[in-house]
Amino acid sequence: MSARPFPVPGRPAGPDRPATRRRRRLGAVALGVVAVLTLAACGSRPSEQATSSSKPLVIGISLPLTGDFSQPGGEARRGYEIWQKQVNDKGGLLGRQVQLKIVDDASNQDTVVSDYTKLITQDKVDLVLGTFSSLLNYPASAVAEKNQMAYVEPAGGAPNMFTRGFTYLFFAQPATAPHQADVFVNYIKTLPADQRPKTAAYPTQDDPFAAPVIESMEKQLSALGVKTVYSQTYPADTTNFQSIASQLSAKKPDLIAQGAVFEDGVGLVRSLKQLNYSPKMLFQTSAPSNAGQYSSAIGTENTEGVFYTVSWSQDAKTPQNAEFVKDYQAAYKGADPAEDAADAFATAQVLQEAVTKVGSIDQTKIRDWLHSNEVQTILGPLSWTDKGEPRGQFILAQWQSNKVEVVAPPEVATTQTVVNPKPDWK
Amino acid sequence: MAQLVQALVLGILIGGVYALMASGLTLIFGVMRIINIAQGAFLILVATVTWYLWRETGIDPILASVITTPMMFGLGWVLYRTVVSRIRGQSASMSVLLTFGIALVIEGILNVTSGNKFRSATPAYFEQSFTIGSIHLPKPQVYGFLAAVVVLSGLYVILTRTWTGRAIRATSQNPSAAALVGVSATGTAALAFALGAASSGVGGSILSVLYPFFPASHYDWISRLLGIVVLGGLGSLPGAMVGALVLGLAETLTATYGSLRWSTLVFYLVIMVVLLVRPQGLFGARLREDGVAA
Repeated sequence: MSARPFPVPGRPAGPDRPATRRRRRLGAVALGVVAVLTLAACGSRPSEQATSSSKPLVIGISLPLTGDFSQPGGEARRGYEIWQKQVNDKGGLLGRQVQLKIVDDASNQDTVVSDYTKLITQDKVDLVLGTFSSLLNYPASAVAEKNQMAYVEPAGGAPNMFTRGFTYLFFAQPATAPHQADVFVNYIKTLPADQRPKTAAYPTQDDPFAAPVIESMEKQLSALGVKTVYSQTYPADTTNFQSIASQLSAKKPDLIAQGAVFEDGVGLVRSLKQLNYSPKMLFQTSAPSNAGQYSSAIGTENTEGVFYTVSWSQDAKTPQNAEFVKDYQAAYKGADPAEDAADAFATAQVLQEAVTKVGSIDQTKIRDWLHSNEVQTILGPLSWTDKGEPRGQFILAQWQSNKVEVVAPPEVATTQTVVNPKPDWK
Repeated sequence: MAQLVQALVLGILIGGVYALMASGLTLIFGVMRIINIAQGAFLILVATVTWYLWRETGIDPILASVITTPMMFGLGWVLYRTVVSRIRGQSASMSVLLTFGIALVIEGILNVTSGNKFRSATPAYFEQSFTIGSIHLPKPQVYGFLAAVVVLSGLYVILTRTWTGRAIRATSQNPSAAALVGVSATGTAALAFALGAASSGVGGSILSVLYPFFPASHYDWISRLLGIVVLGGLGSLPGAMVGALVLGLAETLTATYGSLRWSTLVFYLVIMVVLLVRPQGLFGARLREDGVAA
């Protein structure tokens, strides 16, 4: 994927009192921040409108359906739509049928801002749900915060998301990026000393969702005494990995932990295989979770033993998970749901639970309820800090015999077997 | 030493493939002053078609270019005759808009027909390499490079040894004089556009083996290709080759000796320095418009 510069932080939005609003408006002009943001503050909030029970409940969503993130964006849309169908089949939300108003932001930060601004202030949707990627959720959540709309989002776990003091923001995955690797580090800790890796290499893409995972893992493993022999960040548009692979094969690390989005994960495995260097352990952040696409790109037999962490597993025994998988397969010609679809589904579950428990679409009550309660989702239980950071942990998965198994944490593991060390490339 | 040789060899192999992909872009600009933003989408279209051919028939993806090249030649011809010819004589910015539109249409069609997911052709050799001493030459990269050399030599022969090629070059150097000696401007332009599109037949086939792709991948490729042809000089085939080699070597040398972070930056830094010294690029000819503006 192409370069993903991290957005310039907008001004944090506080409670919308007139004084702060005026000050913020001046600030926005001074900073040259997109003017529509300011306009957004002037619109009336949807919860102030009269509602009748016969009218459908409209949820506004902007997704990257075209452009760089169109692949995960399309999956997120499927997740939302499956949730919508399930809810409507069971009589809707608050007794009203749910209607999704999904617009395309073309993976563009400016468009996502104008999309949510329009959804909230002109279309006056009843509720909003988040978009895909930290890149887009960063500016989009600022629009929601400014308009005091509860903003639950499926894929924005970069640390910067939660440093702005937002109170309407909720990240509906079990952990933020820096904590995704915790479950892998915990697994290493359970190994007897002689089975632990002694040296490790950490190549990572310069990506807000991959790099923090690897940085945090390096820090934690160094503390355990695993020696770092290579640590490099490569730009998002890197396509050739032979040079990285030759450096790695020269240093012969026991563990290679790569912050890999997708193409880069495939590229590095291929290049390592071309050099015939197989580390004892291979961890990649999200590339191996794209099940069929990953295994067909590197060769199914080469997936054996590859570790990754993930927010959701198809086989997890979480409430409604089996139903979600079944409905997804029925809707899309037997295809297995992607993690992005499951995250979106869980995001909608969170909002549904809060709205149901609060009994209205009062945004502030929804926010307060989410801050003090735990929600059961297909990802497992989710709860949040006052900044909207989730408090759970990810799942550690491993490719075993052409299939993905959950190996940790123990309470959700689908197998007791862990492949370690990883066999040589076939 | 081995490390240096390895980096140089890899850089040249990578650069050769880039050169092939960029050749169509520079050819089309040279003759028509059209910046074909759709060239990246052409590559992805070919890669997708190649992937299906490879999966359904088992044909080697790079050999499949025997089928995709004529296909792209035809598509290029039709596109020129029906759409592109209408903006002839208009400013270059118009061509950017039009061809960007074509790119979006191709992306949309691929999205709908083949689905929005990553694909990659994996013939038996895709993760093997030749080993000479301590130097590793990845097989797909070597085959891709060889195919690129064949196609680029072919293009060179067509452009310098055939009447058609001379007509294309004449039109690119001086359209009015070429018309005066009997070269049909429209026919030549259509031919150049078709040839440029056809070059993506081999380029896209190689891409399908070397890099995973999905419909929106063309944005990455077109930005890389534009960088190459701007560095080499828009419209110059040798320029595209040199530009591509510089990019390939910048990638491998910075990855080996510096920090990976710098690899993209180094390439664009080279472009900036070259443009400061030679605004027309390494091999580019100054256009008459540039002279007026200066």
